[in-house]
Amino acid sequence: MKYILLTVFTCCTLLTTSAQDAIDKSPLDVSYYPAGYPLLKVQDKVSGAPLARIIFSRPQKNGRPIFGNLIEYGKLWRLGANEATEIEFFKNVDILGNTIRKGRYTLYAIPHPDKWTIIINKDTDSWGTFKYSKDKDVARFDVPVQTLETPVEYFNAYFEKNGKTAGLMIMWDNVRVTIPISL
Amino acid sequence: MKLLWITAFCVSLMASCQTKEPAATTSIVVPPNTTVDKNPYVTLDQSPLDVSYFPPNYPMQRMKQQDTFPLIARVIYSRPHKKGRPVFGSSPQSICKYGIPWRLGANEATEIEFFREVNIAGNSISRGRYVMYCIPYPDKWIIKFNSNLFTWGLHIDPSTNIATAEIPVEEQTTPIEDFTMVFLPSADGAHLLMAWDNVKTILPITF
Repeated sequence: MKYILLTVFTCCTLLTTSAQDAIDKSPLDVSYYPAGYPLLKVQDKVSGAPLARIIFSRPQKNGRPIFGNLIEYGKLWRLGANEATEIEFFKNVDILGNTIRKGRYTLYAIPHPDKWTIIINKDTDSWGTFKYSKDKDVARFDVPVQTLETPVEYFNAYFEKNGKTAGLMIMWDNVRVTIPISL
Repeated sequence: MKLLWITAFCVSLMASCQTKEPAATTSIVVPPNTTVDKNPYVTLDQSPLDVSYFPPNYPMQRMKQQDTFPLIARVIYSRPHKKGRPVFGSSPQSICKYGIPWRLGANEATEIEFFREVNIAGNSISRGRYVMYCIPYPDKWIIKFNSNLFTWGLHIDPSTNIATAEIPVEEQTTPIEDFTMVFLPSADGAHLLMAWDNVKTILPITF
């Protein structure tokens, strides 16, 4: 009996392990500013540290309506899937009048039809929005929603140079927001 | 009666475990005519990035429990697939050739961060972030820690190496399709398990 139990448990453990080892259906990704920083680095075009990087998971639209449905308006969202989205600044930056000190942060959003409230929070390495505490916010600001003609299948976030600022573009389905970062 | 009960429990346990698998598989299926190929921005990576923490599943554990344990380490790496190719070897087709540095993944160099001082193969490694790479051989892997961060995983400069560890190669009896790095608890710290194809190695980390 004990043997059977042990076998059953081993089978279950193996199944669970293989499930964990499979590639995530909302895979993790990373974007740097300057864009493509690691590639620029091996070409000796840059040195030292980048200015910013974002690490996020990429859920898929998969035919579903996203904003106002899968992602409800007015509710805190992890800006991705799985672990909360991480943003790191390698120097002090300014975002819409908020000074953000060099460091690693969690990025959240509260989407609305016409604007998103973006939250930068200093509690890192958490899952989803479950550990969110307003006490640890370092900045909260609103950015307008732009409508995209071509829907984006996989949630995406990347930096784009925009004059003297870096624009952090966040997009999914037919929605995009841009967070202006003054460096 | 007791035996019956236990058997019923086992069967239900098996059933619950097995129903998990098809559910996961069906949800991965990409329906035809999705907008994947039309993505005008950045397409999904062939060798996607992944993260492993020690304590294992740290972010999820934090969600379920109180923060009673400190974060020790995390590794961020890309996960290439075997796709029927020979992985480790010395033939021209091998993805990772013996004696040639390998980025332990794909794309960007693999990054490991220690949130406290740790010891690896007699090297004291300070709290901080490092690039980690490997020189594979049939019987051993030479693991290198390097201080030149945020780089693509090629042309790593050995002059910025800060520590080396030599670990034996073990056989991975069930070949692994996707390169995997995962931390496991050990008696005196953590084991960083690295597995791909029919090869498995364990890097002991003490703290």
